[in-house]
Amino acid sequence: MTGRRWFPRWSGPADHDARVTPRIWSDDGNPMLSYLAKRILYVLPVAFGVSLFCFLLVHIAPGDPLTAVLPPDASQAMQDELRKIYGFDRPLPIQFGLWLLKALQGDLGTSIATGRPVAAEVWRAVGNTLLIAVLATVIGFLLGSFFGFVAGYFRGSLLDKFASMLAVLGVSVPHYWLGMVMVIVFSVQLGWLPPGGAGPGGSAAWIWDWEHVSYMILPAITMSVIPMGIIARTVRALVADILNQEFVPALRAKGLMDFGVFKHVVKNAAPTALAVMGLQLGYLLGGSILIETVFSWPGTGFLLGNAIFQRDLPLLQGTILVLAMFFVGLNLLVDILQGLLDPRVRRR
Amino acid sequence: MAETPTLDERDRGGAGTPLLEARTLTKHFPLGGGAVVRAVDGVDFAVLKGETLGVVGESGCGKSTTARVVMQLIAQDKGEMLFDGEIVGGLSLSLKEYRRQAQMVFQDSYASLNPRLTIEDSIAFGPTVHGVSKQAAILRARDLLLRVGLDPARFAARYPHELSGGQRQRVNIARALALGPRLVILDEAVSALDKSVEAQVLNLLMDLRQEFGLTYIFISHDLNVVRFISDRVMVMYLGEVVEIGPVDELYDDPRHPYTRALLSAMPSMDPDNRTMEAPLAGDPPNPINPPEGCRFHPRCPQAQTVCAKVKPVLATAGEGARQVACHMEVAGSGHSRAPKLEEAA
Amino acid sequence: MTTLTEAAAPVVAPLAKSPGYWAGVFRRFKTDKVAVGAGIVVLLIILMAIFADYIAPADPTRSSMLRRLRPIGTPGYPLGADELGRDMLSRLIFGARLSLFMGVVPVFIAFVFGSLIGVAAGFFGGKFNTITMRTVDVFYAFPSVLLAIALSGAMGAGIANSLLSLTIVFIPPIARIAESVTTQVRGMDYVEAARASGAGAGTIIRVHVLGNVLGPIFVYATSLISVSMILASGLSFLGLGTKPPTPEWGLMLNTLRTAIYVQPWVAALPGAAIFITSISFNLLSDGLRSAMDVKG
Repeated sequence: MTGRRWFPRWSGPADHDARVTPRIWSDDGNPMLSYLAKRILYVLPVAFGVSLFCFLLVHIAPGDPLTAVLPPDASQAMQDELRKIYGFDRPLPIQFGLWLLKALQGDLGTSIATGRPVAAEVWRAVGNTLLIAVLATVIGFLLGSFFGFVAGYFRGSLLDKFASMLAVLGVSVPHYWLGMVMVIVFSVQLGWLPPGGAGPGGSAAWIWDWEHVSYMILPAITMSVIPMGIIARTVRALVADILNQEFVPALRAKGLMDFGVFKHVVKNAAPTALAVMGLQLGYLLGGSILIETVFSWPGTGFLLGNAIFQRDLPLLQGTILVLAMFFVGLNLLVDILQGLLDPRVRRR
Repeated sequence: MAETPTLDERDRGGAGTPLLEARTLTKHFPLGGGAVVRAVDGVDFAVLKGETLGVVGESGCGKSTTARVVMQLIAQDKGEMLFDGEIVGGLSLSLKEYRRQAQMVFQDSYASLNPRLTIEDSIAFGPTVHGVSKQAAILRARDLLLRVGLDPARFAARYPHELSGGQRQRVNIARALALGPRLVILDEAVSALDKSVEAQVLNLLMDLRQEFGLTYIFISHDLNVVRFISDRVMVMYLGEVVEIGPVDELYDDPRHPYTRALLSAMPSMDPDNRTMEAPLAGDPPNPINPPEGCRFHPRCPQAQTVCAKVKPVLATAGEGARQVACHMEVAGSGHSRAPKLEEAA
Repeated sequence: MTTLTEAAAPVVAPLAKSPGYWAGVFRRFKTDKVAVGAGIVVLLIILMAIFADYIAPADPTRSSMLRRLRPIGTPGYPLGADELGRDMLSRLIFGARLSLFMGVVPVFIAFVFGSLIGVAAGFFGGKFNTITMRTVDVFYAFPSVLLAIALSGAMGAGIANSLLSLTIVFIPPIARIAESVTTQVRGMDYVEAARASGAGAGTIIRVHVLGNVLGPIFVYATSLISVSMILASGLSFLGLGTKPPTPEWGLMLNTLRTAIYVQPWVAALPGAAIFITSISFNLLSDGLRSAMDVKG
């Protein structure tokens, strides 16, 4: 219980709660630490399951996982040789163990198409994906919170209807198509922004100037539509909920002006909204695939597209493992941050 | 319900055998991390045929858990129950057969009716489980509605949300009676009702007991209601029985200090009979780590050293119909207020 | 829900039955103009897909090298012609078939299996619940797009593979909802009362659990239809779904992608079709949810 020790008389609802609630519901020791431990203990099996799933991806692929690497006229001896090299001759659990061990050391195998290590390819692409995913999340968060807030604050008004409609549009639109429409309007018709790629000279050298940034704008805005709709919906519900609580009329009755109420709502809605934003960033990391394909943005989605096109299974497996782990880690981070911000969460 | 068997037809053990006998019933809930809630901790009691046993105590004393264990909705960890002399779940009395003979009415009248079933379907459900044809069950349901004071023509095909709380509780009573039980457990069955409705439902319960030859276990935190309906009363504290005895005797002359405190906290209509004794101090201790010795001793005004060390057992006190778990009732217990040994001898 | 009463009706004198829960839902739904409108659009699209043979003005696969990429409004080609000179309108009409199929069928299969898993986990609880829900959590650790692409990418292109991977994508979320709703219902006193009357697990689930649980799960599943459509089209867009020349909106969008410099609005049409269908399904689902969202 951290908050407001400097304020002697009233130690805040959190402290009050802790005193009244019987100790049945809280473990001994530091509640934050035990919450942390619980979250991490929970994530470990999930991360293990995710690895297992990614490992099995190669094995659910039809046919021998070797067919992709083998020349069509490979001799039996050569096949056996390669099978041994790749370890495919061993039982699955052992293969999995070895694969996991390597993955933990950062070795995700070798791309069949390029012959380069998968890990290096993925890391380079992850940077690019993060770049637009973060940008898109920020744009989506700002616009979404704005629309959601306005909608929740003026419930039932035209503004509310407009914002609600926007939220539905955001979750209903096929974003890859939206990307195409953006390109049609802003590149083909108006000629304002480049239609795709990651900078005038390809992706090799990234510089923060307008030339380069202009390549980010369309993919980022397109991508921001997804979190925008969801954040608008969440914020609207949160604001409406908080305004319905009894303390708001009380604040108004105390003569607090609307700005006071506004501050209060923001303070109460922020943790949840931020948590949703964090989760959305995770979704975008994985959901960017189609948008990156539309804009030829050299991120993980683009990489995945290539892997699928060339049936480069190690690359596919590595990219998906990294993205999923990012997502799991982000979820954990959001949980921990929520635990820090909101003591109620810790008791769950 | 002409086919409702009378008490005699179904009686197995004779009038002298209690309808239900609980022996050291125990139910602990592990909380994780080694902590255990001792919700019901070695409870012994008997319910005689045709009587109403009231069960009182503060919230968290294990009344409801006791009810659920008696109904076998949760299995006990230790102890056994004898229904009319036969072990519940044993060879001669299967659990399913027991459940036909014992039924329960819950506190929340709304939550205890399936919102998607009509009233008559809800009542008819139990009998169909036991092989009664759907048509016969529906007819019986309508008959029962009549008996609990609801016009079947008006109510049978309605849904729960269309009824008032009192009406719904009548439906729940009818549902409990649909299987023709001998024992009905009423777990705070009237507690959520308005006072006027509560009185009507209580009267209905009294009438039904007469009509169907029922035996009740009546659980309530409302001491007035328990006094009104019960023949005998059992007082529970932190998962244990502290006192049990005939209702008037127990209300007029409570022996256990906890019973005394509980009764003195009861509002009285009589200005001459105002509360003189100090009401209970402090919150009830945690059932996770109940105090050593007598569980009531930290709050007991007469507590002495022996109370903190030795756990009192439920023993006959006074004229014989009463049992109390208190060192002050046991000769030679070491408590200064206990009867002298030679007196007792 | 009502089957029990109906079964009894012929023998026992029938009583004037109160309007049941679903009647109330329908009454509330009728007053929701947006939802009704969306429902009509969905119905029209479904009819269009069923009667495509009669409605479509031309053969959706007949190509013409002379009429490639005609603009909207060309005589004989009301919505233009695609990169192989095929009539866009006809292709859009026929494309509704596969797109609707890929929107509805995976969700339906996932609804069946997800409900089965979730209801069982929620009702029986304990270790079974823990193991099931942890497995579900593993799938939850993937954003749905990623999961669909991972599975499809590994299994290879084709409708059957897309169908399978989308079904796998939707089972975990449905199972999760089913589990949480069932856990709630299982704790209700009417389930306890049913247990107290000696009913077995199967009977309790059939009579008391399913009726209270399937509605919410169903509403949730309808909200996934638009997701499924978008994902399926997305898979086709990546070349993982249908193969040419089958008309399918996602695939059409893919093959027309290069045409955005020549006939941009013709190229955008298949996406608009996906958008309209998906938003209609979403609004319909929202309407259903609020019509059902009532205590009881």
